[in-house]
Amino acid sequence: MAKVSDIVLWDKPGEKVLLLGNQAIARGALEANIAVYAAYPGTPSSELTDTMAAVAEKAGVYMEYSTNEKVAFETALAAAWSGLRAMTAMKHVGLNVAADTFMSAVGMGVEGGFVIMVADDPSMWSSQNEQDTRVYAKFANVPVLEPADPHEAKEMTKYAFELSEKFKHFVILRTTTRTSHARGDVVLGELPEEIKQGKRKFGKFKKDPSRFVDVPANARNFHPIILEKIEKIREELNNCPFNWIEGKEDAKVGIIAPGLSYAYVKEALAWLGVDNVKILKLGTPFPVPYGLLEKFLEGLEKVLIVEELEPVVEEQVKTWAYDKGITIPIHGKDLVPRIYEMTTRRAVTAIAKFLGVETPINFEELDAKYEKVKPLLPPRPPSLCPACPHRNSFYAIKKATKGKAIYPSDIGCYTLGLLPPLQAVDTTVAMGASIGIAHGLSIAQNGSLSEEQKSPEKQVIVATIGDSTFYHTGLPALANAIYNRSNVLVVVLDNLVTAMTGDQPNPSTGQTPHGMGKRIPIEDVAKAMGADFVAVVDPYDIKTTYETMKKALEVEGVSVVVARQPCALYKVGQMRRRGMTWPIYQVNEEKCTGCRVCINAYGCPAIYWDEEKRQARVEPTMCWGCGGCAQVCPFGAFEPVKEGAE
Amino acid sequence: MREYNIVITGVGGQGVLTAANILGWAALRAGYKVRLGEVHGMSQRFGSVISYVRFGEDVYGSMVPEGKADVMLSFEPVEALRYINYLKEGGMAVINTKPIVPVQVSMGMAKYPSLDEIRRIFEEDFKAKWIGFNAEELAEKAGHVVTTNTVLIGALTQIPEFPLDAEHVREVIKISVPPKAVDVNMKAFDLGIQAAKDILGL
Ligand code: SF4
Ligand code: SF4
Repeated sequence: MAKVSDIVLWDKPGEKVLLLGNQAIARGALEANIAVYAAYPGTPSSELTDTMAAVAEKAGVYMEYSTNEKVAFETALAAAWSGLRAMTAMKHVGLNVAADTFMSAVGMGVEGGFVIMVADDPSMWSSQNEQDTRVYAKFANVPVLEPADPHEAKEMTKYAFELSEKFKHFVILRTTTRTSHARGDVVLGELPEEIKQGKRKFGKFKKDPSRFVDVPANARNFHPIILEKIEKIREELNNCPFNWIEGKEDAKVGIIAPGLSYAYVKEALAWLGVDNVKILKLGTPFPVPYGLLEKFLEGLEKVLIVEELEPVVEEQVKTWAYDKGITIPIHGKDLVPRIYEMTTRRAVTAIAKFLGVETPINFEELDAKYEKVKPLLPPRPPSLCPACPHRNSFYAIKKATKGKAIYPSDIGCYTLGLLPPLQAVDTTVAMGASIGIAHGLSIAQNGSLSEEQKSPEKQVIVATIGDSTFYHTGLPALANAIYNRSNVLVVVLDNLVTAMTGDQPNPSTGQTPHGMGKRIPIEDVAKAMGADFVAVVDPYDIKTTYETMKKALEVEGVSVVVARQPCALYKVGQMRRRGMTWPIYQVNEEKCTGCRVCINAYGCPAIYWDEEKRQARVEPTMCWGCGGCAQVCPFGAFEPVKEGAE
Repeated sequence: MREYNIVITGVGGQGVLTAANILGWAALRAGYKVRLGEVHGMSQRFGSVISYVRFGEDVYGSMVPEGKADVMLSFEPVEALRYINYLKEGGMAVINTKPIVPVQVSMGMAKYPSLDEIRRIFEEDFKAKWIGFNAEELAEKAGHVVTTNTVLIGALTQIPEFPLDAEHVREVIKISVPPKAVDVNMKAFDLGIQAAKDILGL
């Protein structure tokens, strides 16, 4: 197994390799001679960005980790305006952040190909909501391509650039978790000379205020242009290589399968042993090419549309059929669930019902058997890592507020502070929302310091936010809270990386994929904005962290405490690579009284309860040696016993 | 062979993804069409995880449907039980019997089922074959706990009618671990093979 970054750069056309969907898209972008790439990480899109970071320099591509999706979008868009091929990537909720620019700029079009990769997360494996980007695409009148497997994802990326360039229009490449995070066999194509030589490409922006300045007089021209383009594209997509009709030509029943649903439909049909159907495989769920649809519907007596989430294809097909006077039954969301991700089981069940046949496995029986197992299963939600500095920060916050504050938090590893025993997260909504919500709560319950009337009781509010999130959308919210004289404590959990999505750098890290960027210390920003109290603490020192929190809580106004200590997972990974060791803590049986403070109030996952001895124990393979347990144990029972390398 | 389905379960951070990747490459080198399905992001932080490995002439989706896995490879006994509904009737489960106790259990909010009970459910209720042993102990014997997943993969290759050749799998492990870790991993692989042979009476 060669390194992924090497495989993605391999000059071996025709070679078959195993790549993650996201890595395959990166290869596709290189095969398409991309020049500029900018993104903010977000599961399930992150590996595309990380792969670009790993190959950018050798391929002569400019690549950046932007501070948020809107900024990333604008960076790539401007490059596309300069005639370069450019790409941005985000998760579905990231498109909400970029939506302002996206919706306004679409009418201006592009010069170089511009591809927006959006990774949806049906079933919300790692997300705060379930959102179908195809609805956005339709809203904005932007074509959306959706691959059925990793190889197609690579090929489609190339096609997306060509389509975008041909129509000078935005193109969305939409994946879901199961394409982005599926590995499959991918056949490598040709790399352009410039990529092979690592030659950086530069563009030229041609001024055209009537196009690039959206004052009302100009903007009025945009909407008709967009509508004209999308109908032309709909025409073009009749010949798109990712749309086709297959199966029995004289079949009476048909199935329309957009994107990844095609894979589930194929598998379901094979499993059912059914082959007398016609399939319309749709790589372009929006716009549905009507010419191909018309050909497909010829001779059919009924149709089923198997699509994940919203009825985007269904609505287009039904509207068109109605206008054409086609009256055959068209099924969709009446048989296929509209919530959570598609699975083979769901496809099999829907198709079996549609065709009036039995499912190959009696799923009800299997479920009934499994229901009996469920009560035996202890929950195992994800948790903050052993030695995670956030655990200490939460522990100190809880202690300093005696558990009586409201704790708005944000999106990142630290959201896991919501679980027992910490339970120090009361709200999380969206990136950067913790400070905005904290301000709103303070205004509602305490009033602003600039108001004359004061509330009789002070409600303590402590917001937590990560470093990357702080720079993503925390900045304007902090300015707002300071300006409007809120009374809150904002704790910035600064672990110096964007840990949740895989340790990407951000302004607090300072490092960029090209070398040293310029580090922006969070405390300097807070001071410059005029926060009423600013301090930096090391959360591995729990006592000082607690004392600083107490001090900050006494200050009226907006206090900012930066709790700085590198992400433990990141640090341990680096130490492991360098062959370094760390102390492993153990419980001294003489000293442990079985009080359970380490478990019930602190909760490091390396600490467990020994039922027989009624004492705490440390699982040595999981201890990362932070010494937090030794600080919270009232009896001094935790002791570093040996240097471990793992 | 139309398709062969493996589910791999465990706790985030145990090496579930690595194991899936190794099997995937071995299958690709054997000339099969391959699909792997995995989880990234939040659940990787010590939560419950499942990965899918599918290969054959005719595979499409990256997830193994419930009731269709030929084998299960599990890094932790409760995590084996959690996904037992993926196993087909008569399927085989290769399981590391060393438990990782969830924080909720230590806090007294939940109970950890006994190993005997878990085994009984596999064998009696789900008619599956149980190949359980402490792989972590063997890994330590090989020289390093981190080779637990190599031990388990070694054992997996001994499943009757397992379609990948043990030596091919070994080759992939050899080139995917750091050069200085090759020897311990080879030892771990052999210990896994031997453990499965002993249990299966081969
Ligand atoms: S990855 Fe880092 S920040 Fe996230 S929980 Fe683990 S140690 Fe904490
Ligand atoms: S030193 Fe204590 S708190 Fe830190 S990782 Fe080890 S057991 Fe957990």
